Amino acid sequence: MTSAAYRNAAATRPAPAAALGRGRAALAFAREQSFVATGQVVSGVGNLAFVLVMARALEPRQFSQLAAFLAMYLLVHVPASSLSAGSALRPEINRRTRGRAIGGGALVGAALLAAAVPLAPVLDLPVALLCVLAAAPPAAGLLALERGRLYGSGQLGRSVASLLVEPAVRLTAGVALALLLGPTGAAIGVIVAGYCALVVASGRLRRSHAPDVPGAVVPGASGEPPQTQPSAEHSMARHAASAGGWVVLAFLLLAVLQNQDVLFANALLPSGEAGRFAVLSTLGGISALASTTVPLVLLPRAARGERHALPVAVLVAAALGLGAVLALLIAPAHTIGAVFGNRYSNLHTLAPLYLLAMALLGIARVLVAARCASGRARPMVALLGLAAAAHIGLILAMWGGGARGVATATLTATALLAVALAAGTVIPLPERTRRRGGTKTPFPRSQRRGREPEQEAPPVEEPAAGRWRMALPVLVLMGIGLALRLDVTRGIWVDEATSISQARMPFGQMIHNIRTTDVHPPGHHTILWLTIRLIGSSQLAVRIPSIIAGTLLIGALYLAGRELYDRRAGLVAAAIGTVAPFMVWYSQEARMYAFFMLFATLALWAQVRAVRRGGVQNWLLYAAFTAAMLWTQYFTILPILVQQAGFLAAVWKRRRERAEMRSLLLGWAGAIALVVIAFLPLWPVLHDQLQAYKSRGSGALASAPSQAGAGVSQAGNTMSIYAVIANFIWAVWGYHSDQTMAQIAALWPGAMLVALLTLGRGRSRVSVLLVGIAVIPAALLFLIGLHKRDLFEIRYFAATVPALLLLFARVTTGWTASRIGRIVLAVGLVGTMVVGLVDQQLNGTNPRRYDFQGALERVQHEMRPGDTLVYEPGFLQPVISYYVPKLNVRPLDAGLPKARASRTGTRPKVFLLASFLDKPQYASGTGAAIAKMEKAMHRRLVEHFTDPQIKVWVFQ
Amino acid sequence: MSGRDVRLSTPTWSPLPADWPRRRLRLILLVALNVLLAAWYFSWLVRPERVGMPLLFGLLLAAETFNLCQALGFWWTGVCGKRWIAAVLPYPRLADVDVFVPVYGEPVEIVEPTIAAAARMRGANVQVWLLDDGESDAMKALAERHDARYLRREQNHGAKAGNINNALRHSTAPYVVVLDSDHVPHESFLQKTLGHMTDKRVAFVQTPQYYANHAVNPLASAAWAQQALFFGAIAHGKDGIGATFCCGTNVLFRREALDAIGGFPEESLTEDFELSIELHSRGWKSAYVPEVLANGLGPEDMASYVSQQQRWARGCLSAFPKIVRTRLPLRLRLQYFLSAMYFLSGWTVLIYMSFPIVRIFSGEQPLAAATANQFLLHFGPYFACSLLTVAVAGGGAYSFGGFALAAANFWVHILSTLMTIARRRGRFVVTPKQGVEGPQPRTVLPALLMTIALLTAAGYGLAQNHSPATLNNVAFAGLHVFVLMTGVWPALVGARAAARAREVERERAQRAGISAQSEARRAA
Repeated sequence: MTSAAYRNAAATRPAPAAALGRGRAALAFAREQSFVATGQVVSGVGNLAFVLVMARALEPRQFSQLAAFLAMYLLVHVPASSLSAGSALRPEINRRTRGRAIGGGALVGAALLAAAVPLAPVLDLPVALLCVLAAAPPAAGLLALERGRLYGSGQLGRSVASLLVEPAVRLTAGVALALLLGPTGAAIGVIVAGYCALVVASGRLRRSHAPDVPGAVVPGASGEPPQTQPSAEHSMARHAASAGGWVVLAFLLLAVLQNQDVLFANALLPSGEAGRFAVLSTLGGISALASTTVPLVLLPRAARGERHALPVAVLVAAALGLGAVLALLIAPAHTIGAVFGNRYSNLHTLAPLYLLAMALLGIARVLVAARCASGRARPMVALLGLAAAAHIGLILAMWGGGARGVATATLTATALLAVALAAGTVIPLPERTRRRGGTKTPFPRSQRRGREPEQEAPPVEEPAAGRWRMALPVLVLMGIGLALRLDVTRGIWVDEATSISQARMPFGQMIHNIRTTDVHPPGHHTILWLTIRLIGSSQLAVRIPSIIAGTLLIGALYLAGRELYDRRAGLVAAAIGTVAPFMVWYSQEARMYAFFMLFATLALWAQVRAVRRGGVQNWLLYAAFTAAMLWTQYFTILPILVQQAGFLAAVWKRRRERAEMRSLLLGWAGAIALVVIAFLPLWPVLHDQLQAYKSRGSGALASAPSQAGAGVSQAGNTMSIYAVIANFIWAVWGYHSDQTMAQIAALWPGAMLVALLTLGRGRSRVSVLLVGIAVIPAALLFLIGLHKRDLFEIRYFAATVPALLLLFARVTTGWTASRIGRIVLAVGLVGTMVVGLVDQQLNGTNPRRYDFQGALERVQHEMRPGDTLVYEPGFLQPVISYYVPKLNVRPLDAGLPKARASRTGTRPKVFLLASFLDKPQYASGTGAAIAKMEKAMHRRLVEHFTDPQIKVWVFQ
Repeated sequence: MSGRDVRLSTPTWSPLPADWPRRRLRLILLVALNVLLAAWYFSWLVRPERVGMPLLFGLLLAAETFNLCQALGFWWTGVCGKRWIAAVLPYPRLADVDVFVPVYGEPVEIVEPTIAAAARMRGANVQVWLLDDGESDAMKALAERHDARYLRREQNHGAKAGNINNALRHSTAPYVVVLDSDHVPHESFLQKTLGHMTDKRVAFVQTPQYYANHAVNPLASAAWAQQALFFGAIAHGKDGIGATFCCGTNVLFRREALDAIGGFPEESLTEDFELSIELHSRGWKSAYVPEVLANGLGPEDMASYVSQQQRWARGCLSAFPKIVRTRLPLRLRLQYFLSAMYFLSGWTVLIYMSFPIVRIFSGEQPLAAATANQFLLHFGPYFACSLLTVAVAGGGAYSFGGFALAAANFWVHILSTLMTIARRRGRFVVTPKQGVEGPQPRTVLPALLMTIALLTAAGYGLAQNHSPATLNNVAFAGLHVFVLMTGVWPALVGARAAARAREVERERAQRAGISAQSEARRAA
């Protein structure tokens, strides 16, 4: 096997990308990654096989001792393995660090040896096992260093051989020793296997050849310091390698992020739940192990600036991680029970969630490696530290949900980390120096990059650090925004409950239901469907996607503000977006509006980038975000149309530069084609929805829940200017009581002042575009609202809100040249929004707050068998079945229950729950029912209580 | 003046933007929309059920009607601007031109660049005349330094008009240029204007009065915003109608025309305005060159500005009888009416500002209650479209600062109206060319008193209740206070202090720009 591995090593030694075509180089790298990952997986399976053999060969007591030993062995190796990353990036540190690794390992081993006797009873392990374990640390660091060196110098065959030799020795010598000496023998086998792997990795059997990779490190044959071959990428690699210590630290933090949840779960959860999470962690560990080598193989390639390496590595990591998720999803439900014991069989719904977290962590690991390779290890350490802290915070906030809560926390943390890293990777931030150097004109001619980046000078430290410094405030704002969005102060309301009830259906049935009863595209429903499958349908769980989208919206606002204007405007936009009441509100609602705003902002950002810079990537991003908008909400067609007008204007501006115009037209046409293609599958759904809409007629529409708490915006039931003002207030300062809204609306002369202030102010084309996105959809819906009043509602033109906030950010940062003036303006604006946010979130008189949760919990508490809950209007059914699925309920339309004595002789109670009483039809229906019960049915009103927007009467 | 003389820098403004034809098209569309919206608003306003308190309603209606008349006049003038090609028209070469620079106590350093530049004007045989009513020997020396003729009067009757008339008697050239002492002409001034004189019926050719100090002095900047609107869209439109009137400086006259009416009218405070009426009534024509051909200085402190505005207001308002009496074509008569009427607009500001005070203290209001939504529906579009029209017509030059400065000096119009009605004689005061260093609160006292009244009303209203109606009037009071305070601010902080602050800010921005550029170069 070893010789075969060596043969492979020659075949898989990386060829220089310059020598191959880019596509071929990518294929070759994919083969290398697959080769090493396969070795890793086979090694993992071999080690698992060893454990399974041991489980059958040893007595249970002996096996548990061996399992404890293996856990401690892993504990020694996990931190040490982070050295692999540093060594892979900078193979020459191997020589320098080897001594320290051996020394440090020996010290730990000696300490373990010395403590073996006192530790043994504490750990309930034989002293001999601890003595054997003491032999592990000296090899652990060394093995990690050697493997890293192999990845760094491209000796992948040897590295795979080193991986494979370990289970091979375990399964042969280890099993044999175990049969002779019991768990101690097995442990000796494990240790020997480690040393064998070290021998193979360090090349004692056969001295490795110097790699023929330009710029790669050539270890000196006679012990002299390694030399590097000169190449164009040399300086980049050197620069990347200069941060070896930080790389080690970054990978150590990744290990912390991967493993800390099990420690917290063990400490916080009851024993049963802790055990369940331990199984989850084991499964996750196996999944994560499969992709461990991917970043290590990537590191040297990325350091040499091989552009194809990162996408390939991400794909491999994603395939491994998501493959594990898929495997678990399609595996029979009893698989986990069969492997870990029946008590864990119910984990089959939870395990995919955790495996998904590990898959994301695997991808994050690859992205971290890429960043480290480009000399950005230090900011990565900061980001990972932040992520680890956020992970702990999330665990502490969510552990009340048991193993599922901790797993959700891990998924949230890893998802945020992966998204943040992906955003930083996919969205290249322009260098600070370049931005400060020139003034950016709106929609300037595209600075076509072509293949220039390949000839660019290697990056220098300052821009990288500056770039990180620029991103840090945004990350902090996103952290604050996440905290605000996680602090949900209201229960599920009707629309959310409807979506949840749809998402609880099997997928096909859900789509059918959407086609026949709904008026929204299925994008958000699909996300919700997946969410419910992965993390359940608790209040927090169903809102997690919106919370994440709302948090990402802060970053998107920064990107858009910076792209449209400057970094300062981006930061102010992000700050405003962090506390913007409207954004917080819809980030906490299990509906599509947070996604609507997120995609609208990103589409705007991508549009401006595409027009300014061109480039396939930007056009693809624009098409993707626009398609995502369409799949989220049909009304997104309005801002999309405005954006097309923006493109048209840009084409018109460039009509005299034929080449540039042609390039713009090509990109635009391509993007439109992609959007149309993405929309095509949606067409049948839309068609069916329109047919169903028509067949339902106005009667059905009249029974649909309309906007609530819109008293200020309605003059009778007709459109008015006050409706415009109310929507503006909602967009900027959020939802408030009718009285507060009337008071704010009365300040409309302020708008006259604003209009006067705009006199003589310059305007850029992007500002005009923003105004168009903010105003035109609103104006069109205003016109539509003349026929159907409820459609003039800010959530249906939610893209207005980020556009408005971006304009505010521009005004704040560009109005005055005085720094103090800018600060005062920004703080003033954010301050008013914070006040609005507090009032919106905490004031019980906010007419948008429907406390179904409180009312139904009280009803549930008071209802006895035989009692009936009658509700009005009928469309409350989803929210009632969400909160009280097992109660005896009926809509008022189905009639009042007949008075009938129960078996015990007591007369059952009737609970009448009514909402939307600002609508005459529901108010009159409720009033009639009360009168009927009191007079015709001779029931006695025994109790009446009120929660925000809900009234409950109890009759007996 | 410290540092380089701002008048020697290149103008940063052009009366006619390069995209004027497209802008004009936009303007025509906006005006059409404006007319519809105005009709929509007034058809709603004049209904009997709108009447709240009759007196207040009457005042509101009067103010709104006045503003509508002004707006209609502005829209009419704005769309009449003709296509302009900046070209040198053929003109009689080597014509003799006398250049008059009247002075009355101005500092030599202000006058000297004007005289030097006037002597350098190309395209004609130029004779510069320094007309000194200040009897300054330094001026005499200055004239000698630049080979200019020096003229000093025994008696200074007729102020600036008398001074020019005196010079007309001493000079003989067929063309005369009048320049204020602070207006530095460009070398091409005559080349760009003399060509219009080939039409024998043209009496004078007016060019813009550009404030070169608008970028360094906040008050001059605000005053310039008003000037830019006038010398941009309005003057260009008046030229299209044939109603360009003389603005007293940067103007080329035909001597024959001046002789025909006996020279400048010496009894008026705005001799240029009345001179134009007189010339037009006798069939003479006027022309306007929409190109900056002389760089001048705007008022640098509030006292200078108030003095200038008072003189203009008094002069124009007192010209009403002449406009009525004189035989003028209707379009010209309307144009003169519109120009003179502008100086009544301070009354409308007073009316608007008094409404929230009256409403808060007495509960009375001009419009019937419960019509706020309807009011917004009808007034909002009209207001917004009107502002947009001004913005488009002014090419962005008309700013909030200019609006606020005009509004804060509403009392100048009121005082001038009252003094004109009382037939109190005014005095010609030369606008000071250099600003005063410190604050000048007394020059804005009426605006400050109005601010106090508005704040008192707002405070009282808030103490009474927080009903939407009260809050609405408090908001209106706040709006007026903001406008007034913006207008009077330069007087409170001292124009020069504000200018210095702006200078420091500009230097800092320049430094930042330079360092950013050098960083960019380094990075490159």
